[in-house]
Amino acid sequence: MTTTPIMTVTDLHKTYGKAGSKQYEALKGIDFDVQPGEFVGIMGASGSGKTTLLNMLATLDQPTSGEVTIHQQPITHLKGNQLADFRAKEIGFIFQDFNLLETMTAFENIALPLSLQNTPAKQIKTAVENIAQQLGIQEFLTNYPNELSGGQKQRVAAARALINDPAILFGDEPTGALDSKSARELLDLFTKINQEQAVSILLVTHDPFSASFCQRILFIKDGQIGQELQRGDLDRSDFYQQVLDTLGTFEQ
Amino acid sequence: MLTKLAMTGFKHRWRDYLVLFSGLIMSSAIFYMFEALATNHDFLKQNTGISMIGMIFQFGSVLLTIITLVYISYANSFLLSMRKRDYGLFMLVGARKSKIGQLIWLETLLVGISATLIGIILGTALTAGISQILINSLGLELHHLAAWYFPAAAVTLLLYVGLFLVAGLFNLIALTKTPALKLLHSNDQPNRPQIKPARQLIEIIVGLISIAIGYWSMGHLKQLQLMGIGIALVTIVLGTYLLFNAIFVWLMIALKRLPVANRGLNGFTLSQLSFRIRNYTKMLSIVAMLFALALGAITVGMGFHSQIPLMTNSNNAYDLGLVNTTKSEQQQIAALKPKTNITYHFKADKKTVYYQASEFNQHPFTTIEVQDKAQLSYKTVHNNAAQIKKSGFNYQLMQLQSGSMEAGTPVFLSSAAYQKLAQPEQRLTIFTTNDVVQHRAALKRLAKAHFHTTDVTNFGGRYASYVMVNSMYSGLEFMGMFLGIAFLAMLASCLMFKILSGADADKHRYAMLAKIGTTKHQLRSAIDKEIAVLFILPGIVGIVHVLFGLQMFKIIMITSPYTGIWLPFLIFAVLYLLYYLITVNIYRRIVLQ
Ligand SMILES: Nc1ncnc2c1ncn2[C@@H]1O[C@H](COP(=O)(O)OP(=O)(O)OP(=O)(O)O)[C@@H](O)[C@H]1O
Ligand SMILES: [Mg+2]
Repeated sequence: MTTTPIMTVTDLHKTYGKAGSKQYEALKGIDFDVQPGEFVGIMGASGSGKTTLLNMLATLDQPTSGEVTIHQQPITHLKGNQLADFRAKEIGFIFQDFNLLETMTAFENIALPLSLQNTPAKQIKTAVENIAQQLGIQEFLTNYPNELSGGQKQRVAAARALINDPAILFGDEPTGALDSKSARELLDLFTKINQEQAVSILLVTHDPFSASFCQRILFIKDGQIGQELQRGDLDRSDFYQQVLDTLGTFEQ
Repeated sequence: MLTKLAMTGFKHRWRDYLVLFSGLIMSSAIFYMFEALATNHDFLKQNTGISMIGMIFQFGSVLLTIITLVYISYANSFLLSMRKRDYGLFMLVGARKSKIGQLIWLETLLVGISATLIGIILGTALTAGISQILINSLGLELHHLAAWYFPAAAVTLLLYVGLFLVAGLFNLIALTKTPALKLLHSNDQPNRPQIKPARQLIEIIVGLISIAIGYWSMGHLKQLQLMGIGIALVTIVLGTYLLFNAIFVWLMIALKRLPVANRGLNGFTLSQLSFRIRNYTKMLSIVAMLFALALGAITVGMGFHSQIPLMTNSNNAYDLGLVNTTKSEQQQIAALKPKTNITYHFKADKKTVYYQASEFNQHPFTTIEVQDKAQLSYKTVHNNAAQIKKSGFNYQLMQLQSGSMEAGTPVFLSSAAYQKLAQPEQRLTIFTTNDVVQHRAALKRLAKAHFHTTDVTNFGGRYASYVMVNSMYSGLEFMGMFLGIAFLAMLASCLMFKILSGADADKHRYAMLAKIGTTKHQLRSAIDKEIAVLFILPGIVGIVHVLFGLQMFKIIMITSPYTGIWLPFLIFAVLYLLYYLITVNIYRRIVLQ
């Protein structure tokens, strides 16, 4: 590749538990890059370390050793305001359990990252309306989260994650709580924003169907990358078959 | 089996139970403290001499019962919200409703009764401790005060057990009538703040009218007598609640429309506040009432306290008058470093005390002339013999002539005429210390040894009037201070309870904000602001209530109840601020790990 990667991960280790007490090494040396505009999936069995890895990459937890850079900036040792600013400007998250604030309307939830930067109210309004338009949630903006379906909630969460034009979007099982129709809508949405806005996406999932929307899939086993799959020019349903086959052999 | 399950739920949430428990213990302890005075009629009668006080306390009891009622219903909904999930789960796995009903009932009663019993013990200890501190530091004289007073304990236990029986019944119905699924998800239902202009307008109007009626009747106690207090109690509680209910919702929505709402976490803070609007309005009205009661009680207590030296000083310029002092008495007087210390010689018969005018011309006798009775302002006049005779203030000298000369009219003779009198010459020593209150112990010793009695009617002067005024006001002063402290503690426990019971649910919200890039500083200031609103609103309403409420004390206070009001207000503000800082700190610790 000739482009500089948007994210590089070098020899990442994570050991849970303090020295002396019971320790568990969840990540045992992970290396990979993500190119700008790439849609990468991370798969693996339950307990293989997917969430652990994502938390390191998304600055939610600190690795025991190794380095992650986003936009050439090392992020593992960011602290305090720098860390907060980095989270606010460079990355977006979507979680399985939505993580919306149930005290605020959809509009207020989506606007929150901009309010934090003290963006003028007018600008916030146009930005929220734009993104809501793209994600098809204009008519829900005044609803509270408990007045929305799971799929709608997840689209609101996506809108909040995207409103700051992040360099990379992280998703940890974002379709986990959705029915297949809503899941598919959300994944189509990811594909759309990935292609139209060239947002890099890193998606953790154990669901082969979700993974088949990605361009590249990393398989994790026991805290290491065991295998890598490129979609290349395959269409989605062929790639899906390939993922299923790989899982069949990989999980043995 | 189920009991075991329930117990594990109990262990799991011991922290929340601790909050609930300590809140209930504080509440019952304070209720007991109040009742220990209110039900002790001997104490009330002996220490105030004001028959109305007993009735005032009865109204106080009613008010405190209302507050306790809300407090318990509040604690109970906290308990219920803690258990809803557990019981919902039990139902999902097939537990019988009747069995679960039993468990809820038992748990509520157990929590309630044990907290009340501990509360009564704590209340007894607090009553003893606080009254000792007050008595010692203020030099009060009280009779019949008992820290342990059985009727008070009985009233407290009865009320609390009764309320918990009702609460248990309520929980039973609430939990067993609700479908299991709803129980599982009952925690995340926001109250959508709504403006219903007609209803809110009516609430505001009725609220304002009730408060106005309350204020008016407090100012017209002379005409209304006890009725006035009753009316004020009902109307002010009602009005405060209605006003908060109407204005809080409206205020939140109005603030959200302002551009500042979009800055930083302001929108989040406003949403937090309106999210729990229902709980908040109830709590804010309680806190406003408690604030008013605590501040009012302390202000009145201090008002009485400040009247003691005023009344004492406006009575006589000299602390004591001693006839024919011994050497040792003279030494004791000198040890007090008196401002003035004069010895006049005299000769006396049954009706008259003869002085030498020359001594009075040399050492003028100071009299006090009260100028404005309402404000207790006075001027001191230094009189020579001729002036005393003219001024009509010679009774102040007579007060100091104790013993057999007490009733003798002073007559001032020339030296020659004085020499001719056959009676034996005696000495009258009068002196003034810089502060009777400060030297009260030494003065008491001196007087007791000299007059062989502690009955102040046997000796005159500033010290005697201090003792008399003090015993008259001690009871009132004590009640003011004691109740002020009790209400302040109740207020603290209310706010603390409210804020801590919400903290757990807020934890994940703040964690989420941190994930999307909120700085620690922003999080902290959001917390500061949210809690500040909860402190300031009832504070303002409370202060207004106090300012009007002081009208009531016009009839039992000699000076205006508003004199020197800044001091208790300042002390209270400092305590309140301190309390705010502590709350913010605890909350931060819970919410930001
Ligand atoms: N905070 C922690 N302390 C100790 N061990 C942990 C902690 N978090 C995760 N682990 C362990 O690390 C391993 C990896 O966990 P992780 O959550 O990353 O798995 P996962 O791949 O996301 O699984 P799933 O698909 O079930 O979500 C597991 O064995 C787990 O027990
Ligand atoms: Mg996981």
